Amino acid sequence: MPAPAPAGGPGPRPFTDRIIDAIEWLAATFVGIVALNIFVAVVLRKFFSTSIPDSYDIGRQLLGILIFWGIAATSYRGGHITVDLVWSGAGPRLKRFIDVFATLVLLFVVIVQTVMLFDKVRLTYTDNVLTYDLNLPTWPLAAVAWAGDVCAVVLIAIRAWRLVFNPEALHDEHFEDKASE
Amino acid sequence: MDLGTDFIAVAGFVILFALMLLRVPVGMAMGLVGVCGYALIAGAGPALKLVGQTSMRTVTDYTFGVIPMFMLMGAFVSVSGVSRELFRAANACIGHWRGGLGMATVLACGGFAAICGSSVATAATFSTVAYPEMRRYGYPQAFSTGVIAAGGTLGAMLPPSTVLAVYAVITQQDIGKLFMAGVLPGLLAMTMYVATIGAIVLVAPKLLPAGEPRPWTERREALLGVWPSLVLFAFVIGGLYGGFFTPTEAGGVGASGAFLLGLARRKLDRAKTRQALLQATRTAAAVFTVLIGALLFGYFLTITQTPQKITAFLTGMGLSRYMVLALIMVMYLVLGCLMDAMAMIILTVPIIFPVITQLGFDPIWFGVIIVMTVELGLIHPPVGMNVFVIKSVVQDVSFTTIFKGVIPFVITDIVRLVILIAFPVIALWLPSRM
Repeated sequence: MPAPAPAGGPGPRPFTDRIIDAIEWLAATFVGIVALNIFVAVVLRKFFSTSIPDSYDIGRQLLGILIFWGIAATSYRGGHITVDLVWSGAGPRLKRFIDVFATLVLLFVVIVQTVMLFDKVRLTYTDNVLTYDLNLPTWPLAAVAWAGDVCAVVLIAIRAWRLVFNPEALHDEHFEDKASE
Repeated sequence: MDLGTDFIAVAGFVILFALMLLRVPVGMAMGLVGVCGYALIAGAGPALKLVGQTSMRTVTDYTFGVIPMFMLMGAFVSVSGVSRELFRAANACIGHWRGGLGMATVLACGGFAAICGSSVATAATFSTVAYPEMRRYGYPQAFSTGVIAAGGTLGAMLPPSTVLAVYAVITQQDIGKLFMAGVLPGLLAMTMYVATIGAIVLVAPKLLPAGEPRPWTERREALLGVWPSLVLFAFVIGGLYGGFFTPTEAGGVGASGAFLLGLARRKLDRAKTRQALLQATRTAAAVFTVLIGALLFGYFLTITQTPQKITAFLTGMGLSRYMVLALIMVMYLVLGCLMDAMAMIILTVPIIFPVITQLGFDPIWFGVIIVMTVELGLIHPPVGMNVFVIKSVVQDVSFTTIFKGVIPFVITDIVRLVILIAFPVIALWLPSRM
């Protein structure tokens, strides 16, 4: 889905919106890179009997980066898979209460995940985990993935803030965006 | 101790459903309950360690890469306008028959679903592509929306199906085999939907008028427009079937192929490429969140021995295995009223799967059966997800009208389910040849 128009009509986009756009772009770029990596690896292997060194190791780390940065984007847009049975039948006040509650729980869970993931990245560094072919350290890629989770915390906090104080500034979407043609 | 774990397990499920009803994302709710429940039994330290380990392990598992890659392929195909081309081709060929527009919708939905892999996206897309055309020729609202809702469900069955891929990941089955297992049941579904429309025409010939016959040149031109997408699909799925690619590679090659095809045919520009990348990223992230949550919840299920206890309970009831299967399917139909397909599969399969294997059913076949049952949930009242999507696109139609239009296809689906249970070979023949 294209980025929605900024709330409040034309004019420069607020700083937070530009950060959110940048995070989304970064996540979207990673999905392209993962596809390209797989495509090139397959072509090289099948037609030239060679391979990209560490294609497998780097590919899976890129996948991790894509997902954590994607979670950041999805969390802000309210694009997670949810059960909307009660919400869809609720009035505006209850809807807002449910949204705030759900976002605060989401924030709590992602904060815990981010803290525990840091521990995992730290272990990758201290254990000096290396890639298979080139023996490169994997912790920098794990750290980039972790940074995505940090962004998720920031974006969910912005979402919670906006839900409480400025709900008009949010642009929610369902997890399976309607294909618009 | 045993009473304690039972109590914690039951309380865990109650809290999980309460959180989900309060719109906490399904994956996050499962993760939270799973970790808290595990912490109550094994301690907070080990439980918290699971969070970091499981999250990182899941997102860096190369096998799981199949999910975002096929989503990206579907997104590229979707923004390239393939749905419109497929409908145009099918309509040019059979639109001049009575009910032909409806049949063309089913065929185009099948073709689109085969590349896109998402039921909801298929239903949404054809609400804008096929509905106005059917209404223009005087098709009733109920039928027009009903056929789109039903046609949309083909996305969950025909490869590459996201739901089948997730089932494969959870149950550690071969993704390629599951994709292949969906082919014949998917084609059977298309055939039976077309036959249903034929039966409606026989009963009420004036209900579904014939469209205008198209000249052969137009038919040829329309068919030429869809062949690149069909070749891409055949290449990717054929490569998977023939062992040329792993599922993740097939997805990556399919996504890159769809991108290059879109560029070559001038159907993709910068904005559409960005749209496809974002769409795939967000959907993949949403699905992975649920997968991480499900794995964390899985540890909770394991430590409370819930699957074993449910298996012992169900198999100890003295019912035949088909009766147990029927009970499970009824449960899925009821759950289908509450939550969407993906959430339902991820939440319940870890509990139900041991029962199924204990009863001696084939896991691949069960994957097809469960997806078919879940598909039914997408269109049956009171909360058919496809129906909601169509309603959001086609504003001037009531839910009652859509559900009325869906009834013949729901009956068809139930008949198809019975056929698949009676003849598992329909699902298992292709995978057995791999």
